[in-house]
Amino acid sequence: MPEPRPHMTSPSGAPRRRKRVFEFKSDISAGWRILLGVSVWVVFFALWQFVTWLELTPAILFPEPGKVVQALYVLFTENGFHKDVLISIKRVLISFALASAVAVPLGVLMGSFRTVEAFFSPLVSAWRYLPAPSFIPLLLMWFGAGEGEKLALLFIGVIWFLITLIADHTKAISADLINTSVTLGGSRWQVLRTVVVPAALPNIIVAMRQMLAVSWTYLVIAEITAADAGIGAMMMRAKRFLHVDQIMAGILVIGVLGLAFDYLLRLLHRTAFPYLEKET
Amino acid sequence: MHGNVKLSVENVGKVFGAKGKPVEALRDVSFTVAKNELCVLLGPSGCGKSTLLNIVAGLLEPSSGRMLLDGAEIRGPARERGMVFQGYTSFPWLSVFENVEYGMKLNGVPKKVRAERAEKFLDLVHLTRFRDAYPKNLSGGMKQRVAIARTLANEPEILLMDEPFGALDAETRWHMQEMLLDIVDSTQTTILLVTHDIQEAIFLADHIVFLSAHPGRLKTVLDLEFKKGKALRSKEELIQTDGYLECEQQIISMMRSEAGNALESI
Repeated sequence: MPEPRPHMTSPSGAPRRRKRVFEFKSDISAGWRILLGVSVWVVFFALWQFVTWLELTPAILFPEPGKVVQALYVLFTENGFHKDVLISIKRVLISFALASAVAVPLGVLMGSFRTVEAFFSPLVSAWRYLPAPSFIPLLLMWFGAGEGEKLALLFIGVIWFLITLIADHTKAISADLINTSVTLGGSRWQVLRTVVVPAALPNIIVAMRQMLAVSWTYLVIAEITAADAGIGAMMMRAKRFLHVDQIMAGILVIGVLGLAFDYLLRLLHRTAFPYLEKET
Repeated sequence: MHGNVKLSVENVGKVFGAKGKPVEALRDVSFTVAKNELCVLLGPSGCGKSTLLNIVAGLLEPSSGRMLLDGAEIRGPARERGMVFQGYTSFPWLSVFENVEYGMKLNGVPKKVRAERAEKFLDLVHLTRFRDAYPKNLSGGMKQRVAIARTLANEPEILLMDEPFGALDAETRWHMQEMLLDIVDSTQTTILLVTHDIQEAIFLADHIVFLSAHPGRLKTVLDLEFKKGKALRSKEELIQTDGYLECEQQIISMMRSEAGNALESI
């Protein structure tokens, strides 16, 4: 059924109740949603363009959008920027895979068994409140400025929250589901494998999606503090030569990559769990 | 008579140790459930009937007394005591068929046997048409039918039901009750069912174990003499049967006197 438009009348000829633009919790059509989503960017770039026209700041410090796109083109075609991008992606993926490999089993066990939770929870909670960047000096001394330092920073930046989120999601599983399996004869291991994991999995993917975004934040911190390759490193190089357009291009690329990964995990969520009531 | 006893509850008591102040939920409850009988646990809220059922299931341990199934003491949950819960417990990631198959899979039943038995019980609860659907596409009544089929297909010695129709609307509820009686006829299952719905209790039960509240004690066992020898399979038949109203009245007044006590202790 198409959405009734405000000016349309019902088959009986009587005017329909006017559909207002702002209606609490009322759904909007897909076309309308896309149009609104695109418009916000149009407005954003128009404002940007407008501000550069005003020439309040020197163009070298605040270039117009076109210049940034141009810088992006030059970066990819002449400066081999794709290598930096690939290195950055690799750092995020490897560190995140390592963090997940620890956080998923540990979080599930903490959410399942109070004893495991009581043992690990004090440690995890304490680490969660330590800002990961405060370890940079230490990590630099241990690992030097190489890959190890970056992977370690991203790892400790993400893992504690990931464990906590996964443990909470696992804890929230209905006791009735577990008791159902137990009264059907399920052993502890069977309940874990056939109830706890599949029940928690959709929310585990959501937690990973949220923390992957955080991972990108730490990536940039790692790369602008000490790196000779990666998106952040390129931005620091550009700063030295006052290439503000390149810095902005770097930010743009990070944003697009973050969105792309978010979209991929959303897609995974939708295709892997078709049985869910609705997307979270 | 003794050889006919399936479940025997002997002087069972349960005390919950709630932060220094222990709460007595059950005191010295004894009764038996005969083979192939549908026994209903009835009583006002706070009478511990769900606690008692959970002890039978092995999900809780009694503080005193013991329970025997086929003469062997109950220790922990096991396949022989399958349970249907009030809340919906269909596994959302499994299809209806896979849900029904689930318990058998846990217990290593061969695939072919599993499939045959699952089909049989799906047919019994009239869900064959929905075998490949996911629970999200089912109504509440259908989800409970999945749970019943899943538990029965696992061939328990006794089927435990904790207010299985409590979350359903009135109409669906009596359809489910009638279906349950059909299942009892065709499968020869021993059932222990908890409810606080008086009409449901009278309609389903071969006998009713009535508990009083705070703490839960055995008040009386009702044999429902007026139903003896009659196969009442619909609500209309039940209501028209001589003796039904008297029976309902008796239970209502027991409930009321218990509720009076309960209100004082809230």
